[in-house]
Amino acid sequence: MRNIVKEFPGVLALNKVRFDLYEGEVHALLGENGAGKSTLIKIISGVYKPDFGEIYINGRKSFFANPTEAIQEGVATIHQELNLFEELTVAENIFVGNIKKFNISKSKMIKITDQLLKEFNFPIKASEKVKYLNTSEKQLVSIAKALSLNAKIIIMDEPTATITEHETKRLFEIIKDLKRKKISVIFISHRLEEVFEIADRVTVLRDGNYIGTSEIENISREELIKMMVGREIEEMYPKFNKISGEEIFKIENLEVGEYVKDVSFDVKKGEIFGIAGLVGSGKLEIALGIYGYLPSKWKQLILNGKKITPSRNMLDYGIALVPEDRKKMGLVLEMDVMRNIILQNTDEVSRFGKISWKKSKIIATEEVKKYAIKVSSIKQKVKTLSGGNQQKVVLSKVLRKRPEIIFLVEPTRGIDVGAKVEVYNIVNKLANEGVGVVFISSELPEIVSLCDRVLVMHRGRSMGILNKNKINQENILKLATGVDIK
Amino acid sequence: MNWKGILKKLKEYPAIVGFVGIVIFFAFLSDRFLTLSNFINVFRQVSIQAIIAFGMTLVIISGGIDLSVGSVFALSAVVMASVLKGGSVLLGVLVALLVGALLGSINGVIVAKGKIQPFIVTLATMAIARSLTLVFTQGMPITGFPSSFRYIGRGDILGIPVPVIIMFGIFAIIFYISMFTKLGLYTYAIGGNETAAKLSGVKVDKYKIIIYMLSGLLSAIAAIILTARLNSAQPTFGTGYELDAIAAVVLGGASLAGGKGTVIGTLFGALIMGILNNGLNLLNVSPFYQQAVKGIVILIAVLIEREN
Repeated sequence: MRNIVKEFPGVLALNKVRFDLYEGEVHALLGENGAGKSTLIKIISGVYKPDFGEIYINGRKSFFANPTEAIQEGVATIHQELNLFEELTVAENIFVGNIKKFNISKSKMIKITDQLLKEFNFPIKASEKVKYLNTSEKQLVSIAKALSLNAKIIIMDEPTATITEHETKRLFEIIKDLKRKKISVIFISHRLEEVFEIADRVTVLRDGNYIGTSEIENISREELIKMMVGREIEEMYPKFNKISGEEIFKIENLEVGEYVKDVSFDVKKGEIFGIAGLVGSGKLEIALGIYGYLPSKWKQLILNGKKITPSRNMLDYGIALVPEDRKKMGLVLEMDVMRNIILQNTDEVSRFGKISWKKSKIIATEEVKKYAIKVSSIKQKVKTLSGGNQQKVVLSKVLRKRPEIIFLVEPTRGIDVGAKVEVYNIVNKLANEGVGVVFISSELPEIVSLCDRVLVMHRGRSMGILNKNKINQENILKLATGVDIK
Repeated sequence: MNWKGILKKLKEYPAIVGFVGIVIFFAFLSDRFLTLSNFINVFRQVSIQAIIAFGMTLVIISGGIDLSVGSVFALSAVVMASVLKGGSVLLGVLVALLVGALLGSINGVIVAKGKIQPFIVTLATMAIARSLTLVFTQGMPITGFPSSFRYIGRGDILGIPVPVIIMFGIFAIIFYISMFTKLGLYTYAIGGNETAAKLSGVKVDKYKIIIYMLSGLLSAIAAIILTARLNSAQPTFGTGYELDAIAAVVLGGASLAGGKGTVIGTLFGALIMGILNNGLNLLNVSPFYQQAVKGIVILIAVLIEREN
């Protein structure tokens, strides 16, 4: 039996946390953002040193001064951001840092790699350049690299956050295969369905504290959520918006570059309009195209009964966007909370180009309070906030100007259950205040529960709009994969 | 403010600490160093580099770089000089400012609209402007200007040289821009995350053009001062100034990746470079060694910066 025990008395990030892992086990690590999951895996993988506590591998006390030592001990981590060399081949990526002999030939490298890939049924070729692979395939390259280093413990940090449903299935097959080969997996995910599907046991952390570990058969979804958030969530998906008949937004024959062809839809006042589809279906580009970030054209765009020809910034018309990736597109991470909120609302606090910081402080304080953003002060850098709080900063800065219509793109990606519910509440409230809400998401449960109508995209085209009574995961998946429903 | 607060503030401006440290160091080694006249001398020498570096600060904070400042400096100097020869001081100065601002805007337009890396764009305009300078002067210096013009470089008010006064005036303006205006906020935002700035409704292209225009404009102001001081405009003016400016900005704590940096930091970065020159000269250190000392100081500064 392999046994990792760790104890940290009196530390802020992790307080007397313990964690153990059996051979050939998939152990899910759950917790809201800021619960200490990342800190824990960084300690296991040698990035951080614990202040107190011990790590045991195979009953032997171990200590990793750096990630390289951890890898040598058989602990490999598949990070969310995959650290691969885009210009090198799969084989070269696997061999980088692992070449025993300097004069290994390319063909031999490819041969060895192909063998490894075949052994684990990875559908990639060793000679392919990594830049031609998609996210899921790159993930497999990282896993293969870990395996080539004889990893006995593989840590996967939200491996399913950026891949499609189909690819997730494939990944799970591979994880099951790893189990059979006595390799242990620490699996981190925000998606509870996946945890129930793949994990043998689950450990929950909250606010740096160890809450508990359970066999997956012995725990229900509700119990898990309760452990994670520390309170009952009456409803995972609150819904209290009221639709009126009035049409607030309408677009006809939208084209966005290669991504979106001939898409038309309308949104009613008070309605939450969903857009679903697989990765690469064009669902994200619909928003970026209408917002004017990607080159796009359309036959007609009607907002509140008025026809709009795009000549100015779309924000000026009241078309707002919460972009997909808050770190890359939503926030300036090095700036503080106040400046990030002000950035989109400078006209409110400036005259003749001069910014009133006094007014800015008032506004930022107001917004922080309104959305219950957890900050030590409005001067805190946003990069130090948790995912959920970062997303609330994005929402507050975008919503400050009361848009006519808002496109929310993956608004709950990578944030914890509690913050998700807060986002759903905000969405409902917005709809009731008469803002048109377009909710674009890859997470089917929230689309199904939250939206009044759903447009499903497949390869850049609309497969149709489902009405409330037709909305379920099965129908959406069928349309998303290009199958018509009768 | 208590000691801890002061210490914390100082940590944000390592260039100030470095400056004070170097001043103390030279004060011990040379008795001619810590005199008012010597300090006025240092400030006068630094003023030209500092003015260019203030413009460079905004460019670097916005995530760009301007390699053309030295050539813009030279071209505005020689064009102004030929107008001055025609008689009008005011017209000459205006022409210099116009040339600087125009060349800067061209940089900005190509960077913003052409979506080409600033390093490449300004490398090219650096070569083009230098070449135009040589063609314009046929490689000969232009000398001999009216005394009212020379006053800009040689005069003083209450014992303070005019170039130093101009430098502090520009410092105040750029400081104000960076801290209290939309332009300042947007500069940091563009450098920190251009996509996010754009999606937040910032007219990124427009502000980039303004930033590069300011850089060109400040190069021209520096050129006016040097031309007035030397009573001569030379086609080789400004060679290597881009590196001095970048060094001052980096010493001041800015990151070439953008989004970080302060004008105060740059001021002290430029002062560190100036005081090193001055102190080493007073100590009779061979000029052959001086570049190496500067290089080492820059490396140390960047290492300290990384620790933070």
